Amino acid sequence: MLQRWFSAGIATRRLVVVFCVGVTVIALVVRYSDAFRDAQDTAKANAALDMVDRAVGAGSSVFPDQGVLVEAGGLIPPGGTFTVAVGEPQPGWTPLTAGSAELFLRSYLLPRRLDPNAEWIVCLACDPNAFPEANAIWEGDDGISILHREQ
Amino acid sequence: MTPHAIIGLAALNGAYAVLGVAILWAFRGLPRWVDALRLCGVGYLIGVAAFGVAWTQLLVVGVDFNGWGVVLSLVGGTVAACAVGTLLRRPLPRGYGDPERQASPVSVLITASGVAMTGLLLEALFRAGRLQSLQAYDAWAFWVPKAKAIYFFGGLDEQVFTAFPGPTYPPLVPVLDAAAFHAMGSADVVTFHLQYWFLVVGAVAAIAGCLYRHVPAWLLWPPLLLVLVVPRVASGLLTPQADVLVDAFFAVGVLLLALWLRDGRGWRLAAVATLFAAAGLTKREGLLFAAAAILVGFVAVPARRRAAWLRLLAVTAVVGAAAVPWRLWYRSHGIGGEAPANAGAGGSLGRVGDSLRLSVDVFFDTGLWSVVPVVALIALGATLVWGDRRLGGFVASVLGLVFLGGAWVTYSYPGVPITADEALNPIVRYTGAIVLLAAAATPLLLTSVWRSGPEEPG
Repeated sequence: MLQRWFSAGIATRRLVVVFCVGVTVIALVVRYSDAFRDAQDTAKANAALDMVDRAVGAGSSVFPDQGVLVEAGGLIPPGGTFTVAVGEPQPGWTPLTAGSAELFLRSYLLPRRLDPNAEWIVCLACDPNAFPEANAIWEGDDGISILHREQ
Repeated sequence: MTPHAIIGLAALNGAYAVLGVAILWAFRGLPRWVDALRLCGVGYLIGVAAFGVAWTQLLVVGVDFNGWGVVLSLVGGTVAACAVGTLLRRPLPRGYGDPERQASPVSVLITASGVAMTGLLLEALFRAGRLQSLQAYDAWAFWVPKAKAIYFFGGLDEQVFTAFPGPTYPPLVPVLDAAAFHAMGSADVVTFHLQYWFLVVGAVAAIAGCLYRHVPAWLLWPPLLLVLVVPRVASGLLTPQADVLVDAFFAVGVLLLALWLRDGRGWRLAAVATLFAAAGLTKREGLLFAAAAILVGFVAVPARRRAAWLRLLAVTAVVGAAAVPWRLWYRSHGIGGEAPANAGAGGSLGRVGDSLRLSVDVFFDTGLWSVVPVVALIALGATLVWGDRRLGGFVASVLGLVFLGGAWVTYSYPGVPITADEALNPIVRYTGAIVLLAAAATPLLLTSVWRSGPEEPG
C-alpha cells in the first residue's frame, strides 16, 4: 500500500489533495461557528423588532418618524394616488430623507401610484401655499405631514 | 408573518421541485427513488428556471399574472412533462438503493455530518429570514417594487418597470417574488425572505446532487460547506436580490456542462439550456456567464464528438431566444441598452490595469471569500498536472473568461470608480459567481487528481 503510494507520484498528488482538504476544513472550522452565530444574532435581532419596524424596514433609515409611513398606508386607499413634495431639509431628518423619500414611498405604498395631481400629498417641509386647496390630515414632527385635497 | 404564509411558500417551492423532477424524469428517466432524491435539488432549480423563463415570456406578450395562472402553469407544466415521459416510455422509479454507489461506513458518516452541519446552518438562516425586514437598497428600490407591480397589476406595469432604478434588469426574480406573494396571500415583504431561503436550500441540494456520484463524500462536503459560510456569501444568502440565484444557475449549469463533456448524456445539456436561459433573465451578467461557459464548451468538446457542436448550438439558440423578448420589451419602451455605450473601446490602458488589479484584489480577498479561491486554484493547477486535463482546462477557461468579464465591466463603464465598495462598483457581487463555481468545481477537480485522470463515463 505504502509502496504504491510513494511510487509514480501518487504520494505527491494525493498530498496536494489532502493539503487542499485540510486547509478547507480548518477554514470551515473557523468560519462555521462565526456564520452560525451571525445567523443566530440576526434571528434574535429580527425577533426583537416590533411589527412596524419589520413592515417599514429601510424606511426607518429614510424617514425620521415611522408615523408618516403608517399613516400614509392607512389613509391612502390601495387604489389611490399620491405625490411627494419635499422642501428644505429639517434638523431631524436623516441624510436619506430629502433624496430617497419619494423613491421609498413609491415602493412602500404600492399599489398606490405616484401622480403629480394626486388627491394625497406627502409633504416633507413643503410649501403649503403650493397646495392651497389641500388640508392637513395628519401632522408629525420635523415638518412632515399628509395633505388631502378634494378633487 | 403567519404560519399560513409559510405553508403557502413551502407549497409553492414544493411545486417547483415537483415540476423540475417531472422534467428530469421525462428527459433523463429516474430508475430508482434514490435518483429522484439525489436530483431533487437539480430538479428544483430546473423547475424555478422553467417557471421563471416561461412567465417572463408570457408577461412580455401581455398575459395576466395571477394566482390561478401560477397554479395552472405549475400543474400544466408538470402534466406536460409527465406526458412526455410517458410517451418516451420512461419507467416509474423502483427501489430505494443505489447500486452504482456502494458507500463505506466512513463515507456515510461524512455525508451525514455534512448534511447535519448544512441543515443546522440552514435552520438558523430560516429563523433569521422569517422575521427579516426589507433593508437592502436594491431590494426596496426596484426588485421588490417590480414584484409588487406584477402581483398587484398582473403584468409589466410601465410606471414601475420603466421609471424605477434598474429598468433593464430582467424580471425573473420579480416573477418568483410575485408568485411568492400569491402563495402567501399578500405582499408580505417580511416572510417573503423565506423564498430566498428555499432558493439557497435548492442550490445547495443541486450542487450536492450533481456531484454525489462523481466525488467521494470527504471531497464534496468541505468546499460546499465552506462556500456557504464565507463572509460575503453568508451575509448575502437571504438578501432579496438576484445575485445568489444567478450564481446558482451559473454554477450548476457549468457543473452539468462539465459532466456532459465527460459523458455526453443529453439530459444534462437540456438542463444546461434551461438554467442558462434563466440566468440570462435573472441578471444582466447572467448572459455573460452563459456565453462564457458555452463558448468554452464549444472548444472543449472532444474531437471525436464534433456532432455535439450542433447540440451546443441548440443550447445557444435556446438561451438567446429566451433572452430576446424581454430586451425587445424594454427597448420598445424607450429604455437604453444594458451594455456600455462604447463596449469598452474608449477607456485608457491605465484603466485596464486598474480594473484587472481590482478584480484580482477582490478575488483573493480572504475577508470576503476565505480560502475558497486559493484552494480552487491549487486544485486547478494539480488537475492540469495530474488529473483530468480536459476538465481542468474547461473549468479554468470558464473561470478565466468570467473573471476577465468582471474586469471588463469595471473598465467599460467610465463612471464606475475603481473600488471594492459595493455601493459604487458591482465587482464584489459579480465575483460571487466565480467563487461559487470555484467551490462547486473543487470536489470534481480534486477527485480527478486523487484518482489520477478522467473519470470513466458512467
